[in-house]
Amino acid sequence: MSEFLDLEVQDGVRMTWNVLPGTKQDAAACVIPAAAIYTPLKPIPDIPLLPYTPLRCRICRAVLSPFSVVDYTAKIWACPFCFQRNHFPQHYFSISEENLPAELFPQYSTIEYASVADTNPIMPPVFMFVVDTCMIEEEIGYLKSALAQAVELLPEKALVGLITFGTFVQVHELGFGILPKLYVFKGTKEVTKEQILDQMGFFSGKKKPTVGVIAGSRDGLSAESISRFLLPVSECEFVLNSVIEELQKDPWPVPADLRSSRCTGAALSVAAAILGVCVPGSGARIMAFVGGPSTEGPGAIVSKTLTDPIRSHKDLDKGSVPFFDKAVKFYEGLSKQLVHQGHVLDLFACALDQVGVAEMKVAIERTGGIVVLAESFGHAVFKDSLLRIFQSGEHDLGLCFNGIFEVNCSKDLKIQGILGPCASLEKKGPLCSDTVVGQGSTTAWKMCGLDRKTSLCLVFDIARQGGPEALGPPASNQFYFQFLTYYQHHDGRMRLRVTTLSRRWVAGPGNVEELTAGFDQEAAAAVMARLVSFKMENEDDFDPIRWLDRSLIRLCSKFGDYQKENPSSFTLSPRLSIFPQFIFNLRRSQFVQVFNNSPDETAYFRMVLDRENVASAVVMIQPSLIAYSFQSAAEPVLLDVTAIAVDRILLLDSYFTVVVFHGTSIAQWRNAGYHNQPEHAAFAQLLKAPRDDADVIIKERFPVPRLVICDQYGSQARFLLAKLNPSVTYNSSNPPTPGGDVIFTDDVSFEVFMDHLRRLAVQ
Amino acid sequence: MAPPSGPPGVTPSMIRAPPSQLGQTPLPGSPLSNAPPYIAPPPGRPMGAPAPYMANPNPNPNPNPVSQPPQAGPPAAAAQPNPVMGLAASLQNSMIGTPASQSFASRPFPSTAQRPVSVPFSGSLNQNPLGSKGSGPFPGQPASQPYPGPPALASQPVRGPPQLFPGQIVGQPPMGQPPMGQPPMGQPPMGQLHMGQPQMGLGPMGPPSMAAPPMGAPPMGSAAAPFSGSAWQGQQRQGGMLAPVRMAPAGMGQQSMVSTPGAVMGYSPHAGAQVGTPSKIDPNQIPRPVPSSNSSVVYFETRQGSVVSPPPPATSDFIVRDTGNCSPRLMRCTMNQIPCNGEILTQSCMPLALMVQPFALPHPSEEPIQLVDFGEMGPVRCVRCKAYINPFMRFIDQGRRFVCNLCGFCNDTPRDYICNLGPDMRRRDADERPELCRGTVEFVATKEFMVREPMPAVYFFLVDVSMNAVGTGATAAACSAISQAISDIPEGPQTMVGIATFDSTIHFYNLKRSQQQPVMLIVPDVEDVYTPLQTDLIVPLGECREALEQLLESIPSMYQTNKIADSAFGAAIKAGFLALKPTGGKLLVFQSVLPSLGIGSLSSREAEGRTNVSNADKEPHKLLQPADKTLKTMAVEFAEYQVCIDVFLMTQTYVDIASISVVPSTTGGQIYYYYPFSAVSDPAKLYNDLRWNLSRPQGFEAVMRVRCSQGLQVQEYSGNFCKRVPTDIDLPAIDSDKTIMVTFKHDDKFQEGAECGFQCAILYTTVHGQRRIRVMNLSLPCTTVLGNLFRSADLDSQFSCFLKKAANGIPTTPLTQVREQIVNHCINILGSYRKFCASISSSGQLILPEALKLLPLYTLALIKSVGLRNDGRLDDRSYWASHVASISASLAVPLVYPRLISIHDLTSMEEGDSVLPAPVALSSEYLSDEGVFLLENGEDALIYVGGMVNPEILQKLFGSPSLEGVPSQLVLQQFDNDLSKKFNEVINEIRRQRCSYLRLRLCKKGEPSGMCFHSYMVEDKAPGSLSYVEFLVHVHRQIQIQTKSN
Repeated sequence: MSEFLDLEVQDGVRMTWNVLPGTKQDAAACVIPAAAIYTPLKPIPDIPLLPYTPLRCRICRAVLSPFSVVDYTAKIWACPFCFQRNHFPQHYFSISEENLPAELFPQYSTIEYASVADTNPIMPPVFMFVVDTCMIEEEIGYLKSALAQAVELLPEKALVGLITFGTFVQVHELGFGILPKLYVFKGTKEVTKEQILDQMGFFSGKKKPTVGVIAGSRDGLSAESISRFLLPVSECEFVLNSVIEELQKDPWPVPADLRSSRCTGAALSVAAAILGVCVPGSGARIMAFVGGPSTEGPGAIVSKTLTDPIRSHKDLDKGSVPFFDKAVKFYEGLSKQLVHQGHVLDLFACALDQVGVAEMKVAIERTGGIVVLAESFGHAVFKDSLLRIFQSGEHDLGLCFNGIFEVNCSKDLKIQGILGPCASLEKKGPLCSDTVVGQGSTTAWKMCGLDRKTSLCLVFDIARQGGPEALGPPASNQFYFQFLTYYQHHDGRMRLRVTTLSRRWVAGPGNVEELTAGFDQEAAAAVMARLVSFKMENEDDFDPIRWLDRSLIRLCSKFGDYQKENPSSFTLSPRLSIFPQFIFNLRRSQFVQVFNNSPDETAYFRMVLDRENVASAVVMIQPSLIAYSFQSAAEPVLLDVTAIAVDRILLLDSYFTVVVFHGTSIAQWRNAGYHNQPEHAAFAQLLKAPRDDADVIIKERFPVPRLVICDQYGSQARFLLAKLNPSVTYNSSNPPTPGGDVIFTDDVSFEVFMDHLRRLAVQ
Repeated sequence: MAPPSGPPGVTPSMIRAPPSQLGQTPLPGSPLSNAPPYIAPPPGRPMGAPAPYMANPNPNPNPNPVSQPPQAGPPAAAAQPNPVMGLAASLQNSMIGTPASQSFASRPFPSTAQRPVSVPFSGSLNQNPLGSKGSGPFPGQPASQPYPGPPALASQPVRGPPQLFPGQIVGQPPMGQPPMGQPPMGQPPMGQLHMGQPQMGLGPMGPPSMAAPPMGAPPMGSAAAPFSGSAWQGQQRQGGMLAPVRMAPAGMGQQSMVSTPGAVMGYSPHAGAQVGTPSKIDPNQIPRPVPSSNSSVVYFETRQGSVVSPPPPATSDFIVRDTGNCSPRLMRCTMNQIPCNGEILTQSCMPLALMVQPFALPHPSEEPIQLVDFGEMGPVRCVRCKAYINPFMRFIDQGRRFVCNLCGFCNDTPRDYICNLGPDMRRRDADERPELCRGTVEFVATKEFMVREPMPAVYFFLVDVSMNAVGTGATAAACSAISQAISDIPEGPQTMVGIATFDSTIHFYNLKRSQQQPVMLIVPDVEDVYTPLQTDLIVPLGECREALEQLLESIPSMYQTNKIADSAFGAAIKAGFLALKPTGGKLLVFQSVLPSLGIGSLSSREAEGRTNVSNADKEPHKLLQPADKTLKTMAVEFAEYQVCIDVFLMTQTYVDIASISVVPSTTGGQIYYYYPFSAVSDPAKLYNDLRWNLSRPQGFEAVMRVRCSQGLQVQEYSGNFCKRVPTDIDLPAIDSDKTIMVTFKHDDKFQEGAECGFQCAILYTTVHGQRRIRVMNLSLPCTTVLGNLFRSADLDSQFSCFLKKAANGIPTTPLTQVREQIVNHCINILGSYRKFCASISSSGQLILPEALKLLPLYTLALIKSVGLRNDGRLDDRSYWASHVASISASLAVPLVYPRLISIHDLTSMEEGDSVLPAPVALSSEYLSDEGVFLLENGEDALIYVGGMVNPEILQKLFGSPSLEGVPSQLVLQQFDNDLSKKFNEVINEIRRQRCSYLRLRLCKKGEPSGMCFHSYMVEDKAPGSLSYVEFLVHVHRQIQIQTKSN
């Protein structure tokens, strides 16, 4: 396992198979697809930043890498992807084995270029706040203070704009000093860029050009007309603060039997159009703060009548969702527009009710936006997450813009697509597989927004046909991958990160061991989680449990060690040994068991899953559990109900929630105040340790998880119990250990699951 | 009649007056009045009189009477040559030969004289035809007459008569008379209107005009002044038509006396003889309005028992005592006796209509209208026709029942309302109950008159802030006007205000925020408009006064650099409407450019009209129609929600008033037009207009209906309102300046001696939020005598009626046709009179009914007015038409026949005189090159400065010895000298009278502005149009043609 982690440290890549099945047939037999989870902007220590433009293959445009074969005397390099021989240009003529440019150093398989020739003015990042006002005063109060804090943290040069909405959309003209001035758009209509241009006075006093793309200062808009709406924080801080300070509940009256009329869709459409008009192509985020369901205009998710419930998973399954499809279609359109403009949509949804995350998911995910779901704007999950976005420091997100991600691979590989926060640029090529997963049929993707943790899951297709000739002595048994990521670094400059990988492949029978050795079960679990989520959303009548089970059984059949028809003989190599456990937990996770959650929550969980790296994904699938007691130091324990004991504190990290769970005795002692007594310092320490660890987790995680502190038998304990393996249930034959707990469920426990697996695998 | 009340001068008038009444019966000799005779003659002609008249049977080559005149003039030669002779003859005839003339002579004094006014020319026309060598047109008859005296007469008659005009006798004979007499000598032949002939074929027309000048002079000195003033009056009195009210001052009296004889003279050949040898018709003697201003206030009682007095002229100064009929200010009928049946009405060719001005300003000395509260019972009404209780309802059966004066139904008196009858069969309490003794009362409306709570007074201001508006200063002017004017809004808890500005988008302002600045809320979508807030756009005035004032102060600077040239007028009013929709209210829009964007946007049709000449020539009036139905549809919706829109157009370009005016006219609003807008001179007027608009007596969410006695029915309403059901009109707002014309037709007969009742009820909400019903009653006697109709005709109302009809026709009918119709109206009426009421007199005389003697003059003025001129700008004409649509009877006449007074000699007026000097006739002859004159029509005031004015006068008036550099759009200043003070007093007095601030313009002789001024000289001959004298000739000729043809 550790070697996979090392590889990840070097390149930010985890692959399901680090030794690849060499032919299509082999790959099919391997069940788990060949896939890579790549974190393009993963901070890599000592990564060189080359101040010049990369050298590229004449034919396939691949970038010179350590895997290129260099003929120092002829000053020629061979491209490992297309085998084209390229001459080095003049300035590389001093190249020799002793005098290598950094990009040829073997350890620099990942490297960055930043062209100094880039003379374009640095465009500061743009933040367009889109703020819901259909909320109770209390929520508005929370939101105001959060926004005010955020404004303080904004980079000085960042441009900022403000839109508020309720029944109508109000665009605040922050650059107008005399009065508070706002443009009011109808909530029931989508707004186009053209309308914005016409209606907001961008051509005042000038003739509108009749042809050509009109947008941005480069295309004829005066800087003044843009700076009415978007201007540096330093210049508008006062106005902005006063507007925020005076934010009020949407003034349109709401009858008691109706929901507020909230035009989220129209507001976002206006925001997108304004950004499209003012700053197309430069990094900008729409940050939407939404406090309830959209009920008005495009993208509405529910009628205003309070007696009509908001769609549930059940409704989605039955297809009885009059608003859903229309809303999704609207957001698809919006996402296309945003992708085209290179802008990001972030969503901060804070409401007890659903707000329509499920519908907006497409727009958020395709643009690489951030999503935070909380119950209230006063909740730490929201407040701290918002701060985290703007905070600089150790755990900053490193928000970057305008990424374009491209892939080169050896010709025997094809790309099915990417599962993750990106949008296809529809650049078709021979590398595209016919099978499409996620954003496919392309070799280039747009990542409007990306940060240091954004992780893409690339799913490959092994295209090499098996057969006698293929089995002949291969010229090379290496596959090469090259990932190119152009992006606007948060310093404003464009950069290119190049990661070039090589992986050995094996073909034919008898290579099971080699394949097993290269199997990264964590990566596989993460990939399976993304895949199953994707299929649940996109394939009709998809049965995720069955699909997961069958995949697991087939995998175990192929790689397990057993005698046919003898379940007890079944063993798995350590490389695969915990994979069944991952699948077991995945089956029980929020990604698959959606009915415990609202569609909004599911969408939220999946979006986070789809942008996180393997380690985080594993936590989401199979939470970690740490026990604290007087008997021993903090130790990881099995995610099992038996881990519960009266004198233990458990710390559960399920990624979205961090639970500190006190056993009964601990809780009693604490309630008795022992930890405040000097003679019980140890107890105080015991109480504090899990809290400290939880803080550490919370501090480095984004979105900030919800912290639940609970006691055994308390109502909040459900956050823990739901994640534990129900090895002891109310109808188990074995009684719980004294002080232990039972789980009231009919779900099978892991042991039962394994029994079945063994039985089926050996058939 | 209420004679006694009058000033001393009255007496004389009295003396004459009586005859008038009697007149009808009396003088057998008099051709005029007697009904019987008239009736008799008609037999031959079918009643449908007008028709025959119109269709001139005459073989005349020119089908259009109108067209003739011009031709006649110049070319006339051909046809008229004869006339010359003929004229002479005719004149003579009239003068001499005709028995009629004699009779006249006698009459005037004694009795009848009044009505018929024989026009001098009459003769000429006839003659032409006749005398003209058989120049076909005119039937033979004239011929005969002329002959009689031809030669000799020619010369004499003409001159002699001149002055006479005064009342009745316009006949030429009078003309010639005294004054004229002497000087004209040489020209005799020429001089006369018709006369010209003697000599060659000069068109009769030609000569007259020529003649004028010479004539003018002599008379001026002596006769002119007197005539114009007193003479008329005197005669009028005789007519009996005119209220005794205005008595001429002593001095005048004399004059009138003088004139009278003159008149007499005119008629009689003798007179002529006396006169001497007048050659021309003296323009001084043709009928002209009586200057009213010099006479003292007249008292007028609307009824005396069963006697209904005809009201004083609308333009005069009078005080009304409501004694059963409502004040004539509120309702004025075109005739003060109602024809018993439709035939008589048709025969008279006169319109039967009411001018209803429900909120007309009372004279300060009049009693206020009384408010009657019937409590929960609500006002007593006729069960069948729903008419409100009024003094003409007859109580019977000891007061237990009452008979409706409109439908005749016998109602049970509500128990609480029963009261015994006195010996006079009136209720004993009749005099204590306003609703039983006053023509006008207000009832407190009960719940059943409300579909909702009465609305508050809501004013929403919409200001154009597009580039041009800001650039020309219109925005600043509007803001400052609003700012000043809101302080005059009657402030109650009910008074609400709001404001928005607009260019290519609409900017609302939230004034609600107690703590700080208002918030500007922009509605950018001008195709699909909405209000950005539901509340807080309109707030109680008391809560936002300061914020609003500050905002208004900052708006001009806020938009100082606005580069947006477009203006979304339609969208803005729609948005304003949406803001007002919940309550209703007044939307005051300040617009500066052609609405070019959004809903109801307009194109520059004027330019199209210019470039696409062929099209424009074919149907130029199309450009005076609304461009499309959009604004109309919107306006109807506005009206439905009780939103009234007033539009202030402060512009320097074409703004398509034809289209825009639909909005105010449908919603009970009006257009104010400042063209070309001047930031220097117009703000004051704007402020005053706005202030008056807000502070004048007015009501909201009104519904009006006019009921009348069985026998008549309402034919049509016309004015600024919206009509959704046939019987009622909806007035989102109604104010003291708006008049609604209601026309009637017969659906049955009245009994002779019966009275016809009219009742106008208007349900409205006061500015203080009270729901009221104002009920106005008018009961007029019915008659079968055509002569009575003419005698009781009300010129002001009739002329208003023509004016409004002409304005209505402008957008749909070619201009020539409109003018033709107007002239035909005039001819038909006079023709009818001539035919049925004055048939005895010689056809050589143009005989005018006393009451309508000015009709030809006003008709001429009307066809020369801005709206009916070919050369007018489209917007000017559209504005004129829209202005006229709601104009009151008292302002209708001045609008087309403005008042001209001299300024330079103001200081010579004596103390004690009224502020305003006597007006001068609208003829260039009266303008002296050394003089400064003021001409005002209630809208504009033109100050004409002659070419040789004493610099001292200029210095006094304008603060500068020369007019170099004095802008034509004048800002009147008061300097420390007598003349300037007086001048300012004059202007202020006019403003007060007209309820209008007047746009002052300086017109200098020899400059375009001077030309403009001259276009108001309606009596002058102008290219393509007749002089007054020529016009009379034309009218006379047409009448003759009609008469002959029948």
